[in-house]
Amino acid sequence: MDGFTYNNIFETKGIEYLAILAFFAILIPFWLLLNRQIKINKQKSAGILNINTLNIPQGLFFSKYHIWSHLGVSGIARVGIDDLLLHMVGDVKFTGIKEQGERIKKGEILAKINHNGKLLNLYSPISGEIMEANPVLTHNPELLNEDPYVKGWMYKIKPISWTADTYSYYLAEDAIQFSRQELDKFKDFISTSVRKYSPVPSMVALQDGGELLDQPMAELPEEIWQDFQEDFLGKKTFNRKKNCDFHRGAQPENLI
Amino acid sequence: MTSPAYPIVSKDNDGSSIWSFLKNELRPKGKWFTPFNIISIPIMLLGLGLIVIRFINGIGSVTNLTQETPWGIWIGFDVVTGVAFAGGAYVLTFMVYILKMNKYHSIVRITVLNGFLAYVFYAGALLLDLGRPWNVINPIIGNSFGTSSVLFLVAWHFMLYMLAELIEFSPAIAEWLGARRAHKILSGMTIAAVIFGITLSTLHQSGLGALYLMAKDKIHPLWYSEFIPVLFLVSSIFAGLSMVIFEGTISHKVFSDQISKKNHHAEKGILHGLSKICAGAMFAYFFLQLLVFIHGKHWNLLNTPMGYWYLLEMIGFVLIPMLMFFYSYRTNNIFMIRLAAILTMLGIILNRLNVTVIGFKWDAATHYIPTWMEIVVTLAVIFTEIWIFRWVINRMPVLRDSPKWAAEENH
Repeated sequence: MDGFTYNNIFETKGIEYLAILAFFAILIPFWLLLNRQIKINKQKSAGILNINTLNIPQGLFFSKYHIWSHLGVSGIARVGIDDLLLHMVGDVKFTGIKEQGERIKKGEILAKINHNGKLLNLYSPISGEIMEANPVLTHNPELLNEDPYVKGWMYKIKPISWTADTYSYYLAEDAIQFSRQELDKFKDFISTSVRKYSPVPSMVALQDGGELLDQPMAELPEEIWQDFQEDFLGKKTFNRKKNCDFHRGAQPENLI
Repeated sequence: MTSPAYPIVSKDNDGSSIWSFLKNELRPKGKWFTPFNIISIPIMLLGLGLIVIRFINGIGSVTNLTQETPWGIWIGFDVVTGVAFAGGAYVLTFMVYILKMNKYHSIVRITVLNGFLAYVFYAGALLLDLGRPWNVINPIIGNSFGTSSVLFLVAWHFMLYMLAELIEFSPAIAEWLGARRAHKILSGMTIAAVIFGITLSTLHQSGLGALYLMAKDKIHPLWYSEFIPVLFLVSSIFAGLSMVIFEGTISHKVFSDQISKKNHHAEKGILHGLSKICAGAMFAYFFLQLLVFIHGKHWNLLNTPMGYWYLLEMIGFVLIPMLMFFYSYRTNNIFMIRLAAILTMLGIILNRLNVTVIGFKWDAATHYIPTWMEIVVTLAVIFTEIWIFRWVINRMPVLRDSPKWAAEENH
């Protein structure tokens, strides 16, 4: 054939340019794939508090006051604080109220947690006899925040009415649903409380876009903690004047 | 020399004389007869003897180096590969101090220590190769600088970089000695030393590659190109990080009694993050190699024995570990991260040896094969470095937390 010419891309820079284009073409999906599944872990390390960054084991009974109970094979139950509450309040120190051998009723105060002098009372989810308090928690309070479900258990209790006590508690998928609802309720609580107690909205507990920052309660004042106790953990703390115009629909209920 | 006899809290120099403190520190701690000691002590002693023989009888009495192949594994492995592995220091300090990725802060000190010791020992190993080692000071003092040689740059950079690493590491030494004022001054110099070190590193990592640019006809075309410096620089990034992963895994087990609980838990997260960076760097490097290969137009060389060797290096020891890093990052598989790091390190050793020794005069009638004596001396240098590494870690706050007065200052 006359006049037929072709450019051999191997003789020119053609194939090198193709290689560079291929590099960019492959780079984009490479980078996207590399980062895709890790979003959830990133959220955790970025300090966001939402339903994805919470640890909600499916085999525990969660009370609506954020204490979990787990009945062991031997019949002794362990109880502890759930991850959601710990992420809401931040790093806390633990003080057990009840001693070994004492009897406790559901709804009686079991322990206190304390962050820089701000106290919260925790009430027992079940009735029974206290078998053991976790000895490690007094020396290593960070264990509570690190591993609230396994190593950071609070008390071992021998229950006397397990079924009746835990009847209304959340298990498995219900626990996740409950946590979702509590997070929404908590977001409302935070924005209302911050507006109520500080005219200058300087304390940022919510990121732009409405995502909660991790440990939002940590820097908030004592008054908000007392409101929190009432709305989320049941029962008023002592020395608290009841504020009649502040009832957003969450009633502090009797626990019995 | 494991399990220190002293408690874990860092020692402060509370008033006792500095000389008695230092004398005390020089005393060995821990057992003498651990498996590592039993293997390394004879080799180190033998290596020392061989070095003495080398200097008395000349380099030919101990090595297989000739006029045709003047650079062997002492340079190809100790200097070139060792410096590539020490690249972890500049990458990590860049990540922590410039990019502010504080997740990796806990491993900075040990990596900087590793980098510093690597350069000291491998620059020392360089002295073994010199015919007139007393002339090594010339590029510095100016008795014939030798500015037309890449070695002028390498000499200056090594010296300056060792200085920068020493300054970066010196706060740990100050904490060990309890020298508070010195600690304050030295901590203030850290960021400057870091920036200086990173700048230097980019040039001398590529500079070691540039040394081979002169040997155009002597290195096999699949490994020789004008881009050797760039390839050496990019590969030093993931070579250093793989060394961090490998050596971190070992240190974590050997010195586990020193590491605080928080850092124990942080290890997984650190390895996970490093594997992502390695995957990215290796992806870029693989394509760079591909581009250099296409540019060189050596397609027909692939079907030769050296071509297969080249493919083995590129696919088996660059592409596959890169995919392993990628996969283990997504699935959070710590074991695979460690395995990929080992493969990567083997790949770097292979690459550096291919350029300097294996691909060098590959078509000569008699190939250069190192003598057992060269191997013993190489191992002796490495073991001595590890001994000093261990000595420092057992005494200074590298893995364990700084003493309270220093920690307060740092924040």
